[in-house]
Amino acid sequence: MTAKILSLNVNGRDETILCDGLTTLQEVLRDQLGLLTSVKDGCTQGGCGSCSVLVDGELWLSCLAPVAALAGRAVMTLEGLKQSAGIAAIQQSFIDNSAAQCGFCTPGMILTVKALLDANPEPSHDEILEALSGNLCRCTGYLPIVEAVKDAAARLSGGADAARASEGREG
Amino acid sequence: MAEYLLPDSLSEATEIIAEHGRALAIVAGGTSAMRCGTCRGKHGRGILCLECPGPRLVSVPNAAFVMGIQRLGLDGVAPANGGLGFGAGLSLSRLQASAPIPALRAAARQVGGPALRNMATVGGNIFERQPYGDVAVVLLALDASLTFAERDGERSQTLAAFYADGAKQGGLLTRIDCAAPDGEVVFLKCGRRRFNSPTVVTVAVCIALDGGKVRRARIALGGAGAHPMRCAAAEELLIGAALDPTSIAAAAAAAADACDPATDVVASEWYRRRMVATYVRRALGEIEQGS
Ligand SMILES: Cc1cc2nc3c(=O)[nH]c(=O)nc-3n(C[C@H](O)[C@H](O)[C@H](O)COP(=O)(O)OP(=O)(O)OC[C@H]3O[C@@H](n4cnc5c(N)ncnc54)[C@H](O)[C@@H]3O)c2cc1C
Repeated sequence: MTAKILSLNVNGRDETILCDGLTTLQEVLRDQLGLLTSVKDGCTQGGCGSCSVLVDGELWLSCLAPVAALAGRAVMTLEGLKQSAGIAAIQQSFIDNSAAQCGFCTPGMILTVKALLDANPEPSHDEILEALSGNLCRCTGYLPIVEAVKDAAARLSGGADAARASEGREG
Repeated sequence: MAEYLLPDSLSEATEIIAEHGRALAIVAGGTSAMRCGTCRGKHGRGILCLECPGPRLVSVPNAAFVMGIQRLGLDGVAPANGGLGFGAGLSLSRLQASAPIPALRAAARQVGGPALRNMATVGGNIFERQPYGDVAVVLLALDASLTFAERDGERSQTLAAFYADGAKQGGLLTRIDCAAPDGEVVFLKCGRRRFNSPTVVTVAVCIALDGGKVRRARIALGGAGAHPMRCAAAEELLIGAALDPTSIAAAAAAAADACDPATDVVASEWYRRRMVATYVRRALGEIEQGS
C-alpha cells in the first residue's frame, strides 16, 4: 500500500489526511478536506496562481506541492484568513475598485496581495506588477486590480500595526 | 500510486536511490516534476502525457517511489574556500534575496512569479528542460561544479561537463559551488513580457579584462540547444582582443552560428538564433560600457 496518513495544520486545525507520493496540496484541500474552494483548480501547471495558499506564511502554488512533504507545516487558505483585519481591507479594496468580475482568480489575488503587503507595505507600481505576475485574470485587464492593491496598501498603512496585531498567528 | 519517501539524512537518501534505481523520482520544489495535463495527473505528472487531448506536459514518469529532499538540510548557502556555495534545495526566492552576485539574483528573479520562486529550487533549475534553466545559465558562466551524494561518498563534476555529457548523470545533487568570479558577470533574459516570462533565450557572460584586453571569457547560453551551453567559438574570439564593437559583433555572430535552438510555442529556431546574437551583443556591451 503506497498511501500514507499524515497530519497537516490547515487554517489552524490539525487535520489527518491520506495521500500518496504525488497527491498535491490542492487535491487535499479541495477534495479531502472539502469546501476549501477558495483554492481553485485552474491550470494544474503552476501557471495561473488561482490555487495559491500560504505555507508557513509563504505564498505557494498548491497544485504543484506534493502534500506528503508538508507534514507538520501550517497551511492557510483564504477561508482561514478571512477574519483577519488585513484580509478584510484587501477584500474591501477589491470590491470598491471593481477588481473582481467572475471571481475565479480573486482568492489567489488576495493571498498574493497579502503576502506582498506583509513584506512590503508600500509597494511601487512596478513592485505590484511583479508581485501579481504569477496570477492570471481573464476578465478585468488588471488595471482595477492594481488600483485595488494601491488602495489596500493605503488603507493598511494607516492601521497596519493594529491590523497585524489582530491577525494572530498568520500575521 | 507512488510511495513518498522523505529521508532525514544523506545516507538514508543514497540508500533509497541505490535500492530503487529507475523506479525512483527525486522531487525538490515540484514546480516542474508535479505539473500535469488535462488528465489532472491520472496518467502521471511531469510526463509527456500522450493520452491527454489538451496541453501535453512533461515529469515523474512511472515512478513507483518519489523522494523529497526537504529534510536533507540542502537549503542553505554555504560558501566554501572563499567562493560561493549553494545547497541544491535552496529556493529561488532565497537565492534572489541572498546571492552575492547581482547576475544570479537577476536570473532567480526572472523565473516565474513569486509563489513559484518560493517553491522552486536551484538544483531543480539545473535539471530543467530547455528553454528553462535560467539560473543554471549564470552558474555555467561562473564555471560552477556540482556535487552528487553517493552511497560510498561524493562525486563532483563541472556543470559544463554535466551538460556536455547530455545531463545524463543521475543521483542526488547536493551542492553547487563556484569560485568568486574574477571579472564582470552579466545576465540577460529575452522573454515575451517583463515579469514572469517564458524564456526565449538567456545569456550569461563572465569577462575578465586586463589592460583593456580580454583575459578570460565565459559565455553561456540558455534556450539555444539541448542544454544550457558554453560557447567556445565566441569565447576564443574574445580572448586577447580589446572589448570593442568589432570584437563584440564577431563574438555575437559566432554564438549565433554555434547554437542550435529549438522551435517551440514560445519562439522559433529562427527567432532564437537572432536573439542569441542580439543578447550576447548587449551583454558584452554592458561590460564594455562599464569598463
Ligand atoms: C509557471 C512556470 C514558470 C516557469 N518559469 C521558468 C522560468 O522563467 N525560468 C526557468 O528557468 N524555469 C522556469 N520554470 C521551471 C521550474 O519551475 C524551475 O526551473 C525550477 O527551478 C525547478 O526547480 P524545482 O525544485 O521545482 O524542481 P522539481 O520540479 O522538483 O524537479 C525538476 C527535475 O529536477 C530533478 N531534481 C531536482 N532536484 C534534484 C536534486 N537535488 N538531485 C537530483 N535531481 C533533482 C527532479 O528529479 C526533476 O527531474 C517555470 C515553471 C513553471 C511551472
